[in-house]
Amino acid sequence: MRTPLAWHNLTHNRRRLAVALAGVGFAVVLMFTELGFRNALFDTTIQIPEKLNADLILASKAHKGLVSFERFDRQRIYQARGCPGVKAVYPFYLHFYGVFWKARGEVIHPIRLLAFSLSDPVIAIPEIAVFARALEEPGTALLDRRSKPLYGIPRGADPVAAQPAIELNHRALRLVGEFELGTDFLADGNLILSDRNFARFLPGRAPGKDPLSVVDLGVVQVADGADVEEVRDALARLLPDDVRVYTKQAFIDREIAFWNNSTPIGYVFFLGMMIGFLVGVVVCYQIISADISDHVPEFATLKAMGYRNRYFMGFVLQEAFLLSILSFLPGLLVSLGIYTLLAKGTGLLMVLNAPRAAFIFVLTAAMCLCSGVLAMRKVLAADPADLF
Amino acid sequence: MADHAAQRDAGRELPRLGPPNGRHAIRIANLQHYFGQGALRNQVLFDNNLEIAPGEIVIMTGPSGGGKTTLLTIIGTLRTVQEGSVEVLGHRLDGAAPQELIAIRRKIGFIFQHHNLFASLTAFQNARMALELFDFDAAEMKSRITEILTRLGLGHRIHYKPGALSGGQKQRVAIARGLVHGPQLILADEPTAALDEKSGRDVVTLFQELAREHRTTIVMVTHDNRILDVADRIITMVQGRIKSNVLVRESSLVCEFLLQCPIFARLTPRTLTEVADQMVAERHPAGAVIVRQGEPGDKFYVIRSGAVEVIVEEAGKRRTVATLGRGSFFGEAALLTGAPRNATVVAKEDLEVYTLGKEQFQAVLRASASFEEEIRKALFERQ
Repeated sequence: MRTPLAWHNLTHNRRRLAVALAGVGFAVVLMFTELGFRNALFDTTIQIPEKLNADLILASKAHKGLVSFERFDRQRIYQARGCPGVKAVYPFYLHFYGVFWKARGEVIHPIRLLAFSLSDPVIAIPEIAVFARALEEPGTALLDRRSKPLYGIPRGADPVAAQPAIELNHRALRLVGEFELGTDFLADGNLILSDRNFARFLPGRAPGKDPLSVVDLGVVQVADGADVEEVRDALARLLPDDVRVYTKQAFIDREIAFWNNSTPIGYVFFLGMMIGFLVGVVVCYQIISADISDHVPEFATLKAMGYRNRYFMGFVLQEAFLLSILSFLPGLLVSLGIYTLLAKGTGLLMVLNAPRAAFIFVLTAAMCLCSGVLAMRKVLAADPADLF
Repeated sequence: MADHAAQRDAGRELPRLGPPNGRHAIRIANLQHYFGQGALRNQVLFDNNLEIAPGEIVIMTGPSGGGKTTLLTIIGTLRTVQEGSVEVLGHRLDGAAPQELIAIRRKIGFIFQHHNLFASLTAFQNARMALELFDFDAAEMKSRITEILTRLGLGHRIHYKPGALSGGQKQRVAIARGLVHGPQLILADEPTAALDEKSGRDVVTLFQELAREHRTTIVMVTHDNRILDVADRIITMVQGRIKSNVLVRESSLVCEFLLQCPIFARLTPRTLTEVADQMVAERHPAGAVIVRQGEPGDKFYVIRSGAVEVIVEEAGKRRTVATLGRGSFFGEAALLTGAPRNATVVAKEDLEVYTLGKEQFQAVLRASASFEEEIRKALFERQ
């Protein structure tokens, strides 16, 4: 085995190493934070579809995102139930515009309603089963625990026990429990209701018709053993052109793409990440080129011995790669800390999962390798003729 | 110093008369070298010619800026040959491809004035870097490194990093790194400058061993006159020219020999050295005619080994007037009188002679009254 010169040079001077890791680690944290913000904003927008117990989702042809509230006829749900390979199709109702919350007769603020038949397993929120009986009673709802405090219910206070006087669209609302979902760009709070209560609070949702006759999303479950994509295609062929069928992931991707393309969020945070990347390239270049400059006679001696240029290229890339690994780990730890702090402080959904960590690691490695390529010229220029 | 003298005795065989079958460790012909380009072009080596045999220890001296290090870097393939031809270890350097130059470099051991050790690597690892270019297995590397570091007095410092070593110890690690792969040629720049007398002596003793046992050729630039005695050849470079190129080992052997000859016995050491420096060794097989009667005289001869017959031809009759052996000389009469040779000299057996050209002979005569006196006395006695 060859002597790992890159490793020895990098770790020889502990103080210098610490400074180097701090520098590159800073860039890693910067990239993590930017990515975290970007994802937090996107993640919040997909909290609802993520929780749906759906293989496929039906949506209106005009549906662009969950803020557009384009609806379709409930008939499509019944039609879809007849499609081969479909186990179940459930209607899912959302409402936001025109829903006003009033607590203690003072504050009026819009809030989003989620509704469905309580016997339909449409969404993975365990509290629904717990409070199903209470939710059947007229005028009841579950409140999202992560709703913002502006609804007049202080964080940590138990809204069921306190039982503040609440009106929803001028009708009395009784909170029977809490669940956990989270806020997003649109809504500062969420309520879950049974479909019947939903209809009571929104008698004018479908003017002249049953409020439940227009549906926001259709939650489709596919029969065991059926191929999800085949069923999607079959449904698309079966249903009229006013609805679209998406796999759950495609629906989520569409939602993110909507926010990414129609707002500058994606761009702003992409730019932030690039700045982190560039800072990293500069810091990393400084470290590698300082290591080379300090050892020019030594490298020239290796050349005199008969080491080829290939060796020196390998050396620089190795050093760059080691630097990226060594600084990624502390960067990751610090970022986890920052994510936790931010999540607690802002209520943003800061999720650091393996694919995202891997993505930042790839960026970190690319960053260091870029610097390595920039610094390579220096080591190749070392001239053994200057040694005598 | 005792084994030092022993080495000199061991070397007291026949002086080398050029390498066998024309194989040189280094052969340089008409080498010119320039620095800079265009109007700033500045010639730094002028018409250098040099032949060095395998196993020779060569010391290069001369004032700084004289071109020693430039010549050394050219020999070491670290600079491109611009004009002239250079052959190192049997490879032509002029016009060689980069890959070929790298292959040649690997047969060379470099020792630089500065140790150039990686501070992050131990003595062992630094030396290992020189071995990792070859197919040694780990055990072989370990034994080679341990052996050479121990040999250089660093057996107890093998796993120390340079930061924990003294200047002299670092230099010895660098020397170990230059030698550990068994190079056929060692190029060294002031290898002993950072060393105390004892370690310096250890290093040159090791050089001598390598030269003797492995025919390793060693070229070093040095101003350390404590180690001049190990040189077989001393090259002095001044202003880009090889001002003198002396086979020291040979000239010191000649000196010792000359001292045993009565006619040289009274010369001052200085004159003796000058004479020895200017003498050229010649070999002749038995039966060869060294001097022919009637021809003009151009050389003075001293017999190193073998014997000659002096034959005078008078009126068509050949008469052997004398048989001369080791330590005898002949050929002086024609040089003193300017007359043609007065006798023919034929090698009676295989012969080795030292010769001195006419002009140098006369210069020595002018310089030393005692020498002239001895010569004339000898001439007189012979007649």
